[in-house]
Amino acid sequence: MRPRIVGARPHAGTALAAVLVLLGALGCARSGEAPASRPHGTPAPGGRFVFPLLIEPMTLNFVTGTDLPSSYVTRLVGDSLVDHDARWNPVPRLAEGWEWTDGGRVLTFRLRSGVRFHDGAPLTSADVLFTYERAIDPKTRAVGRVEAFLLVDRVEAPDARTVRVVYKRPFAPALQGWEMPILPRHRYEKEDPGGSSLDRAPIGSGPFKFASWQSARRIVLTANTDYWGGRPWLDTLVFEIIPSQDTALQALLAGEVDYARLTPVQWQAHAGEASFERRFEGLRYTPPFMYFIVWRGDGSNPFFADPRVRLAMTLALDRQGYVRSVLRGLGEVRSSPFRASALGEAGELAPIPYDPARAADLLDQAGWRVDGGGGVRERHGIPFRFTLLIYGMSEDHLQFSQVAQEGLRRLGIVMEIARLDWPTLLTRMRKGTFEAALTGNLPSPDPDAFYGQLHSSQIVSGQNYAGFRDLQVDAWLDDGRSTLDPAKRREIYHRIDAVLGERQPYTFLFSPAVQAAVSRRVGNVSAGPSGIIDQYPGPAAFYIVGGDR
Amino acid sequence: MIVFLLRRLVALAPTLLGITLVAFAILNILPDDPGATWGGAAPSAETLQRLQTEMGPGRPAPERYWTWLGALLRGDLGHSVRDGRPVATILFESLPFTLLLNLGAVCLIYGFAIPFGLYSALAPGSVVDRLGGVVLVALYALPSFAAALLLQEIFAVRLGLLPLQGVSRGSGGGIPAITDLLRHLVLPTACLALSGWAFVARYARASFRSAMGQEFLRVARSKGLSRGRAARHLIASAAVPLVTLVTVILPGLVGGSVIVEQAFSWPGLGRLYLAALEARDYPVVLALTLLSAIAVLLGQVGAELLYMFVDPKLRQRLLSGSSGA
Repeated sequence: MRPRIVGARPHAGTALAAVLVLLGALGCARSGEAPASRPHGTPAPGGRFVFPLLIEPMTLNFVTGTDLPSSYVTRLVGDSLVDHDARWNPVPRLAEGWEWTDGGRVLTFRLRSGVRFHDGAPLTSADVLFTYERAIDPKTRAVGRVEAFLLVDRVEAPDARTVRVVYKRPFAPALQGWEMPILPRHRYEKEDPGGSSLDRAPIGSGPFKFASWQSARRIVLTANTDYWGGRPWLDTLVFEIIPSQDTALQALLAGEVDYARLTPVQWQAHAGEASFERRFEGLRYTPPFMYFIVWRGDGSNPFFADPRVRLAMTLALDRQGYVRSVLRGLGEVRSSPFRASALGEAGELAPIPYDPARAADLLDQAGWRVDGGGGVRERHGIPFRFTLLIYGMSEDHLQFSQVAQEGLRRLGIVMEIARLDWPTLLTRMRKGTFEAALTGNLPSPDPDAFYGQLHSSQIVSGQNYAGFRDLQVDAWLDDGRSTLDPAKRREIYHRIDAVLGERQPYTFLFSPAVQAAVSRRVGNVSAGPSGIIDQYPGPAAFYIVGGDR
Repeated sequence: MIVFLLRRLVALAPTLLGITLVAFAILNILPDDPGATWGGAAPSAETLQRLQTEMGPGRPAPERYWTWLGALLRGDLGHSVRDGRPVATILFESLPFTLLLNLGAVCLIYGFAIPFGLYSALAPGSVVDRLGGVVLVALYALPSFAAALLLQEIFAVRLGLLPLQGVSRGSGGGIPAITDLLRHLVLPTACLALSGWAFVARYARASFRSAMGQEFLRVARSKGLSRGRAARHLIASAAVPLVTLVTVILPGLVGGSVIVEQAFSWPGLGRLYLAALEARDYPVVLALTLLSAIAVLLGQVGAELLYMFVDPKLRQRLLSGSSGA
């Protein structure tokens, strides 16, 4: 049987795929990045692709394995109802399609027929129902899944190919929750939800079958030749666990892996080198990951309850200069928590510039003046001296906070830097025992992803560590969550963005871009906003140019 | 002999107990927020509320210590918080790789340092002695991570002679698998041995020099004993300090192997320790702390046994009961 590329099969899906690929290419060309798709050579079945993982997956359970390395594997072994393509548009996978009814309260999926798990058993709506029940079972502890299902009232399976989800109220980001690989009920129903041996040897219905997992070494997948979407070109897909990024690059150069991420310095050293260019192609993408500073603005400190002070802080930090010189241009300055696509072309606000003079004005207005000696600003005899908590293991945290410290010093503000480990930093933010904290977030592209940071209901035990409270913003956030019409939604988030621009509960900093290189012996590799694996069809469409190595 | 060993091992028990107490206490001072340990994810208020019922209220630390100690005595090290597997299983997966790496490094260090030390002791001031000394000090000063990159660049990337990282290519068995493993072992072992070479070679040279100064050798040589036979006596007399040195460098090697394991993707205990610390996987961290304490203590007992083996005088003294070390 001649293999087919998943998602580009010769039927109705082809036109859609072509449009998506075209959109992808245009999108990347516009932002001056490497072309998204690089078809070359002739696809041929066979060969293996080796991808380095910096961190070993915790589990290969489809429901609990929501950390990034785990999901890289489970999204290939398992199949979800829906998925996203390289441009993060929703695409059907196990579901042929879906439909919203009852004013957006009911979401109905129609499953493909003839889908089988790797052990040959058919996949039906009962498996979907079972997977959902596992996800919300507290014994499963599926921290990464529960969130998306909080508004689900019930899930029904009226027949073998129909799944109906009833929400308590319309929930615009609902589809994302269903990017969850489906468990085979007949294998898992007798297993302990808290952990089972199948978690290290999963069975799914995806394009690749699980073959082996050698702890701290590698995870090997092989092609599912009976995949409903046609067998993948590759015979084998290996996730090689390489904890050092330097080693991963060396392994790429030595031909042991086919992909590696490069630091800005490494990229400068290799780009343009003829032997490197001949063997590898550069890929660049900017994940939705974003750094920001949380200003504890609930009045527990004398500085950050005043929005003028917070705006002054944003104006005083040279984010543009940091991206230009330290990241060597490998990154994007952010002024909003929402991606431009969520706000609409007309809705984008002007980025907040680096303007220390205006920052000084604002601080003067807020009563923080340089009067006495020492050059430190004071108000009512209190010097402007605070501590920024950072995650001490991150280069970005260290370097940016040092640049910020110097910029603030010139304005008469003393900022101490406290380097913490991640759990400690998170605990301090949760308890509210901090003045300012540098942190990061990997939101989904949906603007609702920042609900937790902005809604006042999330102050006490949620993620609103800034203590930001604005009833109007609360109402808009709830509206944005339940509005399905894209144009109306964009308008809502544009309004929220305008308020955030003035009030600055957070200073949004930058999103580092990822510079990677992929071996030219692999075809059909494209980089979406979250890399080459986290998209559909992704690796199911990779092929080795000229067959096996 | 057996009595001596038993007495030594029994004496270790209170030390071990103290170590478990200190390790447990230190880990409990760190903030213990279960939400914070789950992959760094920050769940919402509703999610936490939903999960809190399952986790139950935290028990006081002394009670947890008692439970843990009880389980430990029954041979149960608990389960990993990170992946839910028994800690013992995880430990025994990594232990052979760490042993292999460190044993390889000790062999490599001694295999090179003893002949070199002997040669430079016999021919002090020679070109080999001087040049070797300079090169060894330079290697000693080279940080492990830089040495790792250098070795990888030369032998794997440029020359393509050796595999760059990991412990195997495929998943087969038999002779090819062993050869494959040994090929993967070369670079990390060499990297780990680099800093030890200088140390042990200089030490060996000094030991041999001081042994050479002893009267009996001079007498023997002046009576016509050949160079080779003199060297044999020399080695025997310098062996005691060199044997002691193993117990000094071994903990250093195990410590240094964290970096080497990381750089060469070697699936040993050092990497496991790092990963467990980052994930706040307390059961694994505790077990590893305990394991390394046991290793150090057993190392000391082992050194004493070695002394007895190489030095008859010491054997007499230790066995007669007046414990010196």
